[in-house]
Amino acid sequence: MSTEVPQSPSRRGFVQSLGTSLGSIAFASMLLADDKANPLVAKPGHLPAKAKNVIFLMMEGGPSHIDTFDPKPELAKQHLKEFTRNGKQKSAMESGARYYVKSPFTFRKHGQSGADMADNWTHLAKVADDLCFFRGCQVDSVNHPTAMYQMNCGNRFGGDPGIGAWVCYGLGSINEDLPGFIVLPEVSYPQGGPANWSNGYLPANFQGTPLRPKGSPILDLTPPEGVSRELQRKNLDLITKLNQLHLAEHPEHEELSARMENYELAFRMQMQVPETLDLSNESAATHEGYGIGNAATDAFGRKCLLARKLIEKGVRFVQLYNGSWDSHDYIERAHGNLVRAVDQPIAALITDLKQRGLLESTLIVWCGEFGRTPDNGVRGGTAYGRDHNPSAMTIWMAGGGCNAGHTIGATDELGMSAVEEVHHVRDFHVTLLRLLGLDDNKLTYYHAGRFKQLSQFGGTVIKELIGET
Amino acid sequence: MNPNWNCVTSGARAFTKVMCLALLVLLPGTFLSSTIMAASDEAELLFVRRIQPLLNEKCLSCHGNDESDVQGGLDLRSLSTVLEGGDQEKPVIVPGRPDDSPIYHAILRNHGVWRPMPPKEADKLDAEQIGWVKHWIAGGAPWPDRERAQSIANANAVTWSAEDGIVVKTTGALSHEWANRRYKPEGLWSYQPVRKPAVQHSSDENPIDALITLRMPKGLNVAPAADARTFIRQAAFDLTGLPPLPDDITEFEKSFAADADEAVRALVDRLLESPHYGERMGQHWLDVTRYADSSGFANDYERGNAWRYRDYVIRAFNSDKPYDQFVKEQIAGDELEPEKSEAIVATGFLRMGPWELTGMEVAKIARQRFLDDVTNSVGETFLAHSLQCARCHDHKFDPIPTHDYYAMQAVFATTQLCEGSAAFLQGENKEGFEERQYLEMIAEEHQATLAKLDAVLLENAQKWFNEKGLDSAQWMAAVEAAKQLDSTKKNNRKDYADLFAAARNSLLKKGVPENEFPPKLVGFTIDQFGAERVARKGYERLKWQLDRYEPFALAVYSGRTVSMKSVLSPIRIPKNRLTEGDLEESCIHVGGDPFSEGPKVKPGVLSVLDPTLQVSIPEGIEGRRLALADWIANKNNPLTTRAIANRIWMWHFGEPIAGNPNNFGSTGKRPTHPELLDWLAATFVEQTWSFKAMHRVIMTSDAYRRSSKHSNVESLKEKDPTGSSFAVFKPRRLSAEELRDAMLFATAELNPMVGGIPNRPEINSEAAMQPRQVMGTFAAAWVPNPKPAQRNRRSIYALKLRGLNDPAMEVFNAPSPDFSCERREASVVTPQVFAMFNSKASHARALAMANRVVNESQRDNAHGDDAHSAQAAIALCFELVLGRPPHAHELKACIEHWREVESTLPDKPTVDNKPPLEVRREAVEENTGERFSFIERLHANADFVPDLQAADVAVHPRALAEVCLVLFNSNEFAYVY
Repeated sequence: MSTEVPQSPSRRGFVQSLGTSLGSIAFASMLLADDKANPLVAKPGHLPAKAKNVIFLMMEGGPSHIDTFDPKPELAKQHLKEFTRNGKQKSAMESGARYYVKSPFTFRKHGQSGADMADNWTHLAKVADDLCFFRGCQVDSVNHPTAMYQMNCGNRFGGDPGIGAWVCYGLGSINEDLPGFIVLPEVSYPQGGPANWSNGYLPANFQGTPLRPKGSPILDLTPPEGVSRELQRKNLDLITKLNQLHLAEHPEHEELSARMENYELAFRMQMQVPETLDLSNESAATHEGYGIGNAATDAFGRKCLLARKLIEKGVRFVQLYNGSWDSHDYIERAHGNLVRAVDQPIAALITDLKQRGLLESTLIVWCGEFGRTPDNGVRGGTAYGRDHNPSAMTIWMAGGGCNAGHTIGATDELGMSAVEEVHHVRDFHVTLLRLLGLDDNKLTYYHAGRFKQLSQFGGTVIKELIGET
Repeated sequence: MNPNWNCVTSGARAFTKVMCLALLVLLPGTFLSSTIMAASDEAELLFVRRIQPLLNEKCLSCHGNDESDVQGGLDLRSLSTVLEGGDQEKPVIVPGRPDDSPIYHAILRNHGVWRPMPPKEADKLDAEQIGWVKHWIAGGAPWPDRERAQSIANANAVTWSAEDGIVVKTTGALSHEWANRRYKPEGLWSYQPVRKPAVQHSSDENPIDALITLRMPKGLNVAPAADARTFIRQAAFDLTGLPPLPDDITEFEKSFAADADEAVRALVDRLLESPHYGERMGQHWLDVTRYADSSGFANDYERGNAWRYRDYVIRAFNSDKPYDQFVKEQIAGDELEPEKSEAIVATGFLRMGPWELTGMEVAKIARQRFLDDVTNSVGETFLAHSLQCARCHDHKFDPIPTHDYYAMQAVFATTQLCEGSAAFLQGENKEGFEERQYLEMIAEEHQATLAKLDAVLLENAQKWFNEKGLDSAQWMAAVEAAKQLDSTKKNNRKDYADLFAAARNSLLKKGVPENEFPPKLVGFTIDQFGAERVARKGYERLKWQLDRYEPFALAVYSGRTVSMKSVLSPIRIPKNRLTEGDLEESCIHVGGDPFSEGPKVKPGVLSVLDPTLQVSIPEGIEGRRLALADWIANKNNPLTTRAIANRIWMWHFGEPIAGNPNNFGSTGKRPTHPELLDWLAATFVEQTWSFKAMHRVIMTSDAYRRSSKHSNVESLKEKDPTGSSFAVFKPRRLSAEELRDAMLFATAELNPMVGGIPNRPEINSEAAMQPRQVMGTFAAAWVPNPKPAQRNRRSIYALKLRGLNDPAMEVFNAPSPDFSCERREASVVTPQVFAMFNSKASHARALAMANRVVNESQRDNAHGDDAHSAQAAIALCFELVLGRPPHAHELKACIEHWREVESTLPDKPTVDNKPPLEVRREAVEENTGERFSFIERLHANADFVPDLQAADVAVHPRALAEVCLVLFNSNEFAYVY
């Protein structure tokens, strides 16, 4: 075995191991000598793929389908009509005295496809024909973190790999110098925390790497103040010298070389990661298009632009968080502001990807962890908001081979429950994988006594969403 | 719609023909050619022996077992439905012609039209199984009815069981077929009684070595014994998680040279007496039981009393509590010795899973989550069986019927969660309780905020009346009444001001129309909306934290199930626990759905085990867990004794004997040394379930004392490709906790105090300040303890929040408490470099060590020259970090580095900022969807005393700190050999 430390490792070496930031492990793994053994190397899926990348827009808190993309005129007739609901199958939130709440938003049909959208989606309306709306999805949980885990990881109770981890496990990285699964969280982490982008039982390489919107994007990427790069290099040289002597004494120990190369990689990453994340070389027009610089849209605009850059660089799966959409009390005000914050940036992202020829190969998903109820509980009086609803929600997709220009499935006349093209979220997951050329039944990993998969127990491709019949 | 059996071929006529033939074959008494008859005979046997079990295992979960949800409409439970063919209305089997049978193409998995079956790649049929199906179809696909199948099975039982495995008797299987399926005997190893092998060994040979030799690949030589320094470092880390002191190393070297065996015995005895022994073993145990100081999920409330369970575990190991007692106390301490705090605290084990009940969750589902968690956890921890596989159906691979799962669960049907009263014990460490002052300061702030906001609301209410031009007399009266109530303290519903809400509620109750008084939170600004929620929820959260200093335990009690909507504060044991609430009746939940009630079950245990072990579990409220615990801790329970023997072995060798310590079922790895495992299990019981006795036996074996260096690496790789021979000692990377603790040990900063409330070390400051959402508000920032001695304790004492892991621990594979960790991983990932080479913590340790070393070496060399003193300093660094003196070239390189760095360092280093006293939090407010901000005060930071600062250290030791940093980052430091 060589005791030489490689001086110029392959390009793939760099950020193969870009780590994670807060509270997380890493995606880089043992730096194995050959690509065959490298879990991050790009590999073909099981089936022909329509999409290569995913941008997953996670509207955490549960956006109301009734007030965004699924108008319910009948609900206006029931407005403020009171009733009660009880039972062991209901949570305290769902029980007791309740009343219906009409949507404060007006709706119109947009594009040639006649997509239903609330009027405050002024920018998104312009790309209505690029969207495929799905009204048939249902989840199991009525509570935020468990529903979030289910939407993000397939399993309600956390600890399983996120979708991005599964996708990277199945397809590897396009650009091996960057993590395959990057998360752009809100300043505050969502309920359930980093377990929402966990690698679960998959190898640590597949963990989502959160790039923090403030402070150092990756924890301890740079040494404390006062430690110069020259000093670091000198320290590193001494580590190498000691390690070489040690390796000579323990030629049988294979991990030692991997650990040594790891230090060199980290040293180079310190320089290169900040460059990758720099938005300043984008034009003023681009900034403006995404709403960067405008107080309402700046935060999400930056995330959307960064998402495009990351996709361009070959990051496989980027997940953006926005929220909280948990509007229990004042839906008009809260949803109004939330839509304003994301409408322009998302429309700009779709348009930008399209112009660059990337929309075809990039699947965009917009969803929350569940939808909202047409009614609200009496909690100290009347307030025009909505509770959690696992039985109905709207998910939309764009690009990536989805059935753009169609609305699939339907909810009942009040929006309480999906009634047409009804599918458990596991089918949606299976469909998402299918667009990427992955077969959920083949994408399995042996853990705790059985082969596990994103859908948990297998599911069905929702053909209508991918334009197949 | 369902594509599973989607066939586009149109051969309806051809099918009809074959169908006729098929029916002929199957009608008894029809005229059949003798060739078909013979083939059919054979095929019929094949069906009973192979095809039916295959259908059960691979197909029926989607194609028949759940009649309400048959995939593709294709029911594979009978020939008639198979020939009907489900939604496609085309037979999926053409008797006599496998190549024309869709089912055959589906299992071959390479047909253009017929989708691969079973769908999951991992479930695919192997070549032999495919061959069976082919021959069976070719033989006419006979399908005897149940009666005939049974008589065929009976007639062939003897031959088949010799060849195919055996039927295992269990209770309450959901189907006849499952109950009669056959198991390969080797997959049932763990259920067999433990048989202590009669070991042929010479008087001076450790039986362990004889049993390892028994399985040693032929011609493979074992590695020589490790030298004294290597051995003491390994033994010290293994038993205490800390390195040996330089003096202890020298001492040991001497005695080792005189009499190695005796020296090893004495060393092991000494280490077993260390109070740090319990901390090290405790960490292993807490990995398995998923210890955390918070509840996870939406609220991630702190579990203020969890630390008492952690300390119970450490005490148990230190006092060498017999394992059978340890088991019983953790499962049923409250029933075993209801008056003893120790026993009550022990039941914290049952509470280790994440759990909460918010008003947004269905109460019954939350209750079921606890029951499922505790059933599986008991199975994994004590019986090495992950029982959750049997929650929805009879276990696919192991002889665990779903009935047994719910029978075990029924044991816990009267187990209720509580933070129950348990007086502090003499031996419990109550130091540092005064930190509650910081929490009380926050509580007061929240109260003040709420009082202020209540006043704002009352003022806004007045404005509201003025604007609306409405009469406020009724309102004013309500407010006045609320004030009266408040002053007479009858309103102790809440201990903060909420006159506005009280007034509104009273009017609502009276039925006053809502448009006659102001709405909730009237006139609030965005920041006020946010501030109100943060203060109210924050105040609620403090109740959990303040419980930490009170004589309560994270525990359980036996009682009826009280209906609850949400749990927002610690639960105390109700007085009428035996009379009030529901007595849960346990039943099988069909398909795992808690609302789908199947047959009733009584409390019970795993029926696969030797019936002489069976116990009867009381059906009353009390005593169920105690009976279960007695069954588990029975010396004849082979799962229990093998499971713990296997773990103890792994804690020493890094490798278990049976590869999945939490899974002894047929999908887990078989033991590489079954005789050794049984010997260990039997010996453990003989030695009165004593851990310490086992350490003594294991650590004095040649196998444990072997070097990691083998004289012939090629031969080792060739003869032991899986590395399971124990011919050589496998190097082990230190765990996250050992790395941190060893660094603190080397710098002499480590506070060796054992036990007590969790501490908060300094973690990456950005991670510490990272805002995180919890239900309706934001979790508090991570504020380190003010004093270095409080922060620099062993890592096992660090507060473990499910929602905020210490990133530096996580990168070195500290397990997440989401799952039981049967075995630590040791991956090599780049963020480890950031954590070890760049972090403030590493630099702080390096500085502290340099300072210590320079002081000590100057003191010891008061009359020596500088060069001599420098050499002594480097030598001490090596001793402290690597447990050995430096080689000449290492010494030279380090001294040069020191000198070089010293010439470049500034005289005045950068000064660390003082920690902030407050932090501004920004977030989107739920009511408004707009961004708002609030200030969080970090009270403890006012008293913060930093670790040694660069500014307080001369340039000479500061330069040495770079050498120390290098040593901490060296490969050698990270491993024991």
